[in-house]
Amino acid sequence: MSAALFSTAWQMARLEMQTFLSWRLNLGLQVLGMLARVYFVSAVWTAVYAGRAEVDGVPLETLIAYLTLANIHVWVIYPQTLDVLPPRIRSGAIALDLARPIGLLPQLVARSVGGIAGLTAIVIGLLPIAFLVGSLRWPASAEAGALYLVSVVLAYAITLAIGIVLGLIAFWTLETNGIGLLYYFVNLFFAGALVPLWAMPDWVQKIAELLPFQTQAYLPISIYFGRLAGTEALRALGIQAVWLALMWSLAVLVWRRAIHRVVVQGG
Amino acid sequence: MTASPIIRVRDLVKEFRTPRRAPGVSGALRTLFTREQNVVRAVDGISFDIAQGELVGYLGRNGAGKSTTIKMLTGILVPTSGEVVVSGRVPWRARERNALDIGVVFGQRSYLWWDLPLIDSFELIRRMYRMDAATYRRELDRVVELLELDELLGTPVRQLSLGQRMRGDLAAAIVYRPRVLYLDEPTVGVDVLAKERIRAFIAETNRSEGTTVVLTTHDLRDVERLCRRLILIERGTVLFDGRIDELRSRYAVGRQMVVDVVEGQGALDLPGVDEVRREGSRVWLTVYPDLEEIVRRIFVEHTGSRA
Amino acid sequence: MTLASVAWALFLANVRATLQYRLNVVIWFVVGIAFQLTSFFFLWALLARFRAVGGWTLEEIAFLYGIRLVGHGLTVFVFGGFQIVEWNVREGYFDRYLTWPVPPVLTVLTWWRPSSAGDLFGGLVLLAAAIRIAPVDLSPIGALYLVLAIAGAALVEAAFRFAFAALSFRFLRTSGLMFFVDTVFNTFGNLPLRIFGLGAEAALTFAIPVAFIAYFPASVLLGRTSELAVPPAIAYGAPLAGAVLFGLAYLLWRHELPRYQSSGS
Repeated sequence: MSAALFSTAWQMARLEMQTFLSWRLNLGLQVLGMLARVYFVSAVWTAVYAGRAEVDGVPLETLIAYLTLANIHVWVIYPQTLDVLPPRIRSGAIALDLARPIGLLPQLVARSVGGIAGLTAIVIGLLPIAFLVGSLRWPASAEAGALYLVSVVLAYAITLAIGIVLGLIAFWTLETNGIGLLYYFVNLFFAGALVPLWAMPDWVQKIAELLPFQTQAYLPISIYFGRLAGTEALRALGIQAVWLALMWSLAVLVWRRAIHRVVVQGG
Repeated sequence: MTASPIIRVRDLVKEFRTPRRAPGVSGALRTLFTREQNVVRAVDGISFDIAQGELVGYLGRNGAGKSTTIKMLTGILVPTSGEVVVSGRVPWRARERNALDIGVVFGQRSYLWWDLPLIDSFELIRRMYRMDAATYRRELDRVVELLELDELLGTPVRQLSLGQRMRGDLAAAIVYRPRVLYLDEPTVGVDVLAKERIRAFIAETNRSEGTTVVLTTHDLRDVERLCRRLILIERGTVLFDGRIDELRSRYAVGRQMVVDVVEGQGALDLPGVDEVRREGSRVWLTVYPDLEEIVRRIFVEHTGSRA
Repeated sequence: MTLASVAWALFLANVRATLQYRLNVVIWFVVGIAFQLTSFFFLWALLARFRAVGGWTLEEIAFLYGIRLVGHGLTVFVFGGFQIVEWNVREGYFDRYLTWPVPPVLTVLTWWRPSSAGDLFGGLVLLAAAIRIAPVDLSPIGALYLVLAIAGAALVEAAFRFAFAALSFRFLRTSGLMFFVDTVFNTFGNLPLRIFGLGAEAALTFAIPVAFIAYFPASVLLGRTSELAVPPAIAYGAPLAGAVLFGLAYLLWRHELPRYQSSGS
């Protein structure tokens, strides 16, 4: 990609981030909603522990830290493209995007990165509070922290691809508003944001292993807290890499089919 | 015909308050905590009367206050001050009873049920406007014939072309025989033939039913074709309110032209052209600027050179 | 032709229009169920192993959950239209409804969405199951109280949606607020509030009236009013809270409607 095209992509990302950050009130409320959810889950588990030091070999503070991070992950690492793309397809604005000198996929990536960057910046800004309140803790080790960052980048990349695949569905069917919400809940469940995966029945865990959702929160967070270390951590990164390749191939495939089927709605 | 006007507007004012937003993060925080507001006077003291059966053109630039006035006449907005009486009622106070007596067509948006066949919209209007079966049948047939809708009745509204949809909107607005019809840009975006059909329909409805029509439009050919009276509005105040020929004679300066015509030609019949004298094959004409030119001049005069 | 028949016709038209998007109907039905299942699975996974939380067993919590869920399902089914008011106002579609000879509240009430069925269905199933396994007092009076409690639960949630819809007339972005309130209802509303401690219980009774939705009525029907932090009379009167809040929301709507500004030209 030439320098000119790259700078255009950069502009798109910046514009998207600015647009995102300008929704301040909405954002504040999302944060509040998040805090309420984290508080709720922590309070319930605290009641469940009923004073016990450990359950399943996991102390309460670790569990709460895990749940906090899991909820943050599910909130931030979200395939925004699946919300952004369908309205553009439905209104016909997609025609403008297709006419640009950059291909649609790079555009979507740039947009997505901008949007996620904005949200990430805010979360990083809020992290000190989480640490102060005591619900979050440092990574198990420097190595765990480093591997965690790698894992998060992989998770982001997979989310991008998922967002593109689900967003492109709008080329085939007009009504897709429910998909985002459905994705959110399924992701919430398999991320272990309510009940950690290790506390769930075996058959649920087996299903979780076969789905890409574990790459979004469960794997990175397990690395963070040292539940997966050494070769196991590397294996987790490997699983993420495999899912990344799979989702991106799928995205490119769906994209090619979508191009064949360009029916511009509206007007 | 009653002596009192069907629409009476006196010293109508509408102010809009929007919170003042400052840029940047600190600005956003301030916005959350202060009560600073921008006040915009969209309508700044207008008055006019419209008699029953009139077809009035209501013209103005974008943002001049036309739509705001119409929204107050239809009961959508409540005025900041001033008086509006339509058919003996105050629109926003007796909103539902006023609604039974008026038809509204907004050119930019359809008022039909988007996903359902056209006929379903009529069925729903029938119920909303409490039409009994016999009346409904009769009126439906009337508007379907008038606007040539019979083949379109089974089509979902979203599949209609703009011109077809506009005809549907017009039919829906008059099927219950309202006394007043508000048309907001009914020909916008419509092709030339359909525009003429729509204009003919409006003229016919006004003529044969005696429906009072308030027409806002940007297309002066609509006005030329349909209206005898014109109200010009700019920045919330009335610039001109009177008959169109009065407008012409007040603002139009005719130019003299002498023309040699081919032998045997009858009288020249052109809009804006008066034949003064004819001698043999030579004709003396006075040519007046068209309505669009006149209106533009009025705006320029009033606002300085910001046409 | 009465107002009721007009409302019914508008409602049917809306149903017909929505059912054209069949895939959408299915997805939203599934979303409705999935949403509730996620939360309920959370509780089930916990209580399958820990037997009780705050002294409440799984069966008792399921009963509380069922009351809230049916109430929530009813809210979305009957009053779901209020959520769309803000969007209609911003896009300029709401003007249209003000030119109809029908009270705009009625128009809003007829905006049915297929998602509503999912929540209601799930709730009824759960409540029916819970009634059989929980130690509930269901004499005729108890049954009547249960029905009133469900209505009250629906009205409390509906009151908030109603109020936020009214506030959107002034272009306030209320969808974020609604999301927050919904989150609180969907999380804290499903559990006995005593497990969150006295401070939270007070906040969730008097700041955001979560307790009135299901916690109080469930406590009454399970004979647990003694462990509440409020006098039993307040708990017994829980359904009334819903009616009062709804009435206040209606007054707010009436107050805000004349301040409608419309959008664009």
